[in-house]
Amino acid sequence: MHHLIQIHVDVGTLSLDVNVNFGNEMIVLSGENGAGKSTFLRCVAGLQEAVGQVHVGQEIWLDSSAGFALPIVQRRLGYMWSEAVLLPWLSVEKNIMLGASDVEKSWFEKLCEQFEINHLLKRKPLMLSTGEAQRVSLVRALCRKPSILLLDEPFSAQAPDIRGRLRMALQGLQQELQIPIILVSHDIEDAKVLAQHHWRMREGKLLSTINTQSNESSKEQTKVEP
Amino acid sequence: MFESLFISLQLALVTMVILLCIALPLAYLLAFKSFKGRTMLEVVVALPLVLPPTVLGYYVLLMIEPHSMLGTIWFTLFDSSLAFSFSGMVFASVLYSLPFAVQPMQQAFRSIPRPWLELAKIQGLNIKYTLLKVILPASKGGVLVAAALSFAHTMGEFGVVLMVGGSIPGETKVASVTLFEMVEMQQQEAWMLALILLAVSFVMLSVVYSINRHGLNMVMK
Repeated sequence: MHHLIQIHVDVGTLSLDVNVNFGNEMIVLSGENGAGKSTFLRCVAGLQEAVGQVHVGQEIWLDSSAGFALPIVQRRLGYMWSEAVLLPWLSVEKNIMLGASDVEKSWFEKLCEQFEINHLLKRKPLMLSTGEAQRVSLVRALCRKPSILLLDEPFSAQAPDIRGRLRMALQGLQQELQIPIILVSHDIEDAKVLAQHHWRMREGKLLSTINTQSNESSKEQTKVEP
Repeated sequence: MFESLFISLQLALVTMVILLCIALPLAYLLAFKSFKGRTMLEVVVALPLVLPPTVLGYYVLLMIEPHSMLGTIWFTLFDSSLAFSFSGMVFASVLYSLPFAVQPMQQAFRSIPRPWLELAKIQGLNIKYTLLKVILPASKGGVLVAAALSFAHTMGEFGVVLMVGGSIPGETKVASVTLFEMVEMQQQEAWMLALILLAVSFVMLSVVYSINRHGLNMVMK
């Protein structure tokens, strides 16, 4: 399955310009603050308007030359903000199930166990620590079995010991679902352990996309001034 | 005296319920959509705040008099006149209290954190479910304030209901008008009615201010 993201957008001082192809793999996207990583994710999700093409498998999500953008509600999409976005009046379980009516129970239970939130299901979000809230968001993003998963620093608030287990879990689920995951991270371990592809971004451009398995590096995207 | 008080309460209650239904889509439009004529709509909604009640009453009478379009339609449907009737007063009150219902809701909708609305889209919620599961629960306080204010403001009407209702005892004579007549005729019991109206307004505003202060806690519990 091949996917294509070809987008351009100017937001404030940032000029984002990305053109990539990728398969069903785990991609770690890193870069300095303000490089455009989060904006990139928002463009793919449709939360930020952009010019270009987004193809996820057979589906066309964005084709601005034809004036087409698939409404976000019709995109089968898992998305995680850099801060946990949970509705405070709903329990953890109901937060996860928001808009997810057709979820198999076994899948839900598996996710809750692997991301270690079983004991939190009945709690309200205000009773969670930052790390717990983050894991709940991760489960919610995976729960509807998305066709692409976009994660903005999903492990940033996790303690080192649990971080390793979460990486393993995410990797396993990626294999099982066979979907692309784009994971924004500042943690070099994420890139080392998880990434099948490592993208580095600077000033809105992809500097390099490194296939960490074959160690081949393609730098055709290097359009940034030296 | 108590008859007119009952009419006032009835009027306030009916007006409040109708207003909540009308204000919801209006507040939604004004809070989330940009369209041609937005400012115009906002001005029209806010007009009753500054308009002398007699001016509003005058135009409402023009709108609902028997030969007007609305008056004619009403007459064919219900075989009765809209002017100088309870229904006519409801119509006028809805217009008169419109900003008191729309503005708190609009403000509440606008202060919903943006990621919550984005979340609704990402989770695939359509407009109906976004409203039921996200927007309304997040703006409970604003909706309550809108309800309390439109109720209280309708209780406190004088000029509009007098002009449109015509002060028919047992039908359109509300408490505020009764009080005015009692004072004119120097009736001793006026103090009681005044006190009741004062108490109703006091309670309603207390509700509003405590929601405004502790609203977040209420919503989050």
